[in-house]
Amino acid sequence: MAGAVESAPKRGRFAPYGLLSPGIIWLTLFFLVPVAILLRAALSDQPERFVPSDLDFTWKWSNFSDGLDRFGPQFLDALRNALIAAAIVAAITVAVFVARRDLWHRIRVRLVGALVAAFFATYIITSTIDGWGDHFQRSFLYAGIATLLCIAIGYPLAYVIAFRGGTYKNLLLGLVVVPFFTTYLIRTIAWQTILFDEGPVVGFLQDVGLFGDSDRLLATPGAVIGGLTYNFLPFMILPIYVSLEKIDRSLVDAARDLYSTPARAFQKVVLPLSLPGVFAGTLLTFIPASGDFINAELLGSPTTSMIGNVVQNQFLVQLDYPTAAALSFVLMAIITIAVLVYAKVLGTEDLTG
Amino acid sequence: MSKRSSSTSTRGLSRREFITRGAAAAGGLAAAPYLLGGSPAWGAAGAGADVGGKLDVLNWILYIDKKSKKDFSAQTGIKLKYSDGIDDNNTFFAKYQEQFANGDHIGFDIVMPTTWMAARLIELGYVQPLPFDLMENAGNLKSELQDPVWDPTGEFTLPWQTGYTGIAYNIEVTGREITSVEDLFDPEFKGKVGWLLEMRDSLTLAMLSTGMTREEIAAGVTFNDAKPAFDRLEDAAQSGQIRRFTGNSYQQQLLSGDFALNVAWSGDVGQLSLSEPNLRFVVPEEGANGFWADVMCMVATSDRNEQVAAWCDYFYDPVNAARVAAYTNYISPLADITDELAAVDPAASENPILFPPQDVLDRLVQFPLLDPDEEERFDERYAEITGA
Repeated sequence: MAGAVESAPKRGRFAPYGLLSPGIIWLTLFFLVPVAILLRAALSDQPERFVPSDLDFTWKWSNFSDGLDRFGPQFLDALRNALIAAAIVAAITVAVFVARRDLWHRIRVRLVGALVAAFFATYIITSTIDGWGDHFQRSFLYAGIATLLCIAIGYPLAYVIAFRGGTYKNLLLGLVVVPFFTTYLIRTIAWQTILFDEGPVVGFLQDVGLFGDSDRLLATPGAVIGGLTYNFLPFMILPIYVSLEKIDRSLVDAARDLYSTPARAFQKVVLPLSLPGVFAGTLLTFIPASGDFINAELLGSPTTSMIGNVVQNQFLVQLDYPTAAALSFVLMAIITIAVLVYAKVLGTEDLTG
Repeated sequence: MSKRSSSTSTRGLSRREFITRGAAAAGGLAAAPYLLGGSPAWGAAGAGADVGGKLDVLNWILYIDKKSKKDFSAQTGIKLKYSDGIDDNNTFFAKYQEQFANGDHIGFDIVMPTTWMAARLIELGYVQPLPFDLMENAGNLKSELQDPVWDPTGEFTLPWQTGYTGIAYNIEVTGREITSVEDLFDPEFKGKVGWLLEMRDSLTLAMLSTGMTREEIAAGVTFNDAKPAFDRLEDAAQSGQIRRFTGNSYQQQLLSGDFALNVAWSGDVGQLSLSEPNLRFVVPEEGANGFWADVMCMVATSDRNEQVAAWCDYFYDPVNAARVAAYTNYISPLADITDELAAVDPAASENPILFPPQDVLDRLVQFPLLDPDEEERFDERYAEITGA
C-alpha cells in the first residue's frame, strides 16, 4: 500500500518534462540548431565566393567588425535607436497606464520620463548630424514608429471588439484576421496599387491641398512605415483583445459605484489590466518589423532600405554567408537588449499586480 | 517572367571535353552520336520519334505555352515534369547551390538560368555539356548567338529565349519621345525614373552615359572604368532622381505612371505595348546591353541525354519555336522564324521590338566578362547604390 502511495508522485515527477518535450524539441530543432549553424557561419571564412556551402570554421570574429564597418558605422547609434524606440513605447504606456499612486511608482514614472526626454534630445541632435544614413538606424526608427501606430490603431479597435462587439465579436475578430488569408507579399504589393502616384489616395491629398503636384506616397519612408503598420497590426490587436476580454466587468462596475467617471474607471481599471496585451503586442510587432525587408523593398526607394534588405542581399545576391550571419547576430543582440530594457521599464507584473 | 542579363563571370575554367558548338551541331547532323554509339532508337530520331522516359525541366514563369508542353510529350513519349520555379537568378542559385556542391541531383535535368548565371554554373562544374551529338536542330541557332561570351566553348548552353535592354517610357507621362541615356538623368523626370536591379543592364547604360563607347565596353570593363558610371548612378539614387531599382515589377509601375521611363527588357514591353499604345521602347542612341539570353543547361547529375536532346530538338524546330516566341514575346534564338511566327501571330511578326531593324542591332553591345577578382567589387558597389 505504502509503495503505491509513493509511486504516484514519482510518476508525476516526469509529467512536466513529458508535457514540455514537444516544445523543447521544437525549439531545439527550429531555433537552437539554426542559431548554432548561423553562429558557425558568422565565425567562418568563405574561401570561394560562389560556394557558400563550403565554409571554413576559423573563429573569424573579424566578420562582425567587418560587417559593422560596412553597414553600421554607428553601431552605438543603432543600439541607441533601439533603446529609444523601446523607451518611448514604454514611457507612453507607463504614462497612460499609471495605476498606482505610491511614491516609488511615481519616481519611476518620472525617471522614465526624464530618460525619454534625454533620449529624444540626443536623438534629435545626433540625427541632424548623421541623417538617417544607416540601415540599422532606419530599421529601428521605422519599426518603432510602426509599433506606436499599431498601438494607437489597435488598442481602440480591440477595445471596441471586446467591450462593444456583442454578438458580432467573432465576426469582427474574423475581419481582423481575414487579411492573413492572402500572402504577406501580395498584401504589400496591393499597397502599390492603392498608393500609386496617379491613384486615388495621392489624388485626394492633392485635391485637399496637403500634397503638391510632385509629392508622392510610394517610395517614401512613410509608405514603408505604413506598410509595416498594416502588416503587423493584427499581431497587436489580438493580444490586446485577449487581455481586455478576460477583464472582469464587475471591476468596472465597482469603480463606477465608487463614483468614478467612465473615463477614470477606464484609466484606473481597464488600461492597467490590459497592459500585458500591449506588452505582448509590442514584442510581436517591433521584433519582426525591425528585421523586415519586404516593405522596404516593395514600398520604399533606394534610400529607405532597412537592415533586413542588407541581410537578404548578402545571403542571396552576394552569397556572403559569414557577413550575413554576423549581421543577423548583431540585429538579434540589439533587439534582445532593447526588449530587456523594455521589459525592465515596463515590468508588467509591477504595473498590473 | 524573368530577370535577365547578358553577361558572365568566368574564371579559370576547368573544362571538360572540348567540343565546339559547330562541331557538335555538325556531329548531330551527321548522325554520329558517339555517346550512344549510334543507338538504333535514335537512328530513326528527329521529330516524332518515340524517345520515352522522363524529363524534369526548371524554367522561368510564363516562359512556355501549354500546347508546347502537351505536344512535346505526345510527340516524344517523354513524361515531362515542368516547373516554372525560377523567378530570380540569385535566388535560384542560393536555393540549389548546396545540393549542386554536394553532387546531389536537384530533381531537374534542364535548368534555364540567364547567361551570366549559366557561366557561373559551368565554371563550378554544376552543369555538363549538352548532348549536341544527339540533336538535329541545334544548327538552327542564330549566327549572332553562336559565339557567346558566356560559354566560350559553346558546349554547355543553348539559348531558350533572348532579348535586349532599352528604355521603356509612357509617352503620356513623359510628353515627348525618349532617345538618349541622358533622358534618364533629366531633372524633369525626377522621382519618375526606374532602373534595373540587374547590374549588367543598368551599368551598360550608365557607362555609355559617362562617355565610354560601345567598342570600349565590348573590349572589357575594369572596376576603374566603371567607377564614374557607378558614381553617377549613386548621385541619381541619392538625389531622388531614381525612384526605384526593380526586377520585372517595373511593368505595373510603368502602366500606373509611377515610372515615366525606366530601363526595361524588350520582351516585357513587347508584350505590354500590344495592349497599351502609350508605351514605347527604345534602344537609346548611345546603345544598350544585348543580346542576352536565358539558356538551357543540363545539370551535371542528369543522365537523360536522349530526353534532353529531344527537348532541345523539339524547341529548335522553327514551328515550335515560333509558338513559344509568340507566347513570350521575347526573341527566338532561331535563325529565321518570321514565316512560322506570321502563321501563329501575324501582329507579332511585324513588331519592331521582336524584329529590331539593323540600326538598332548595331547599337547593341554585349556586356563583357568581368575579371573574377573584380566582380565582387562590382556586385558590392552596385548593392550599395541600390540600397541593399
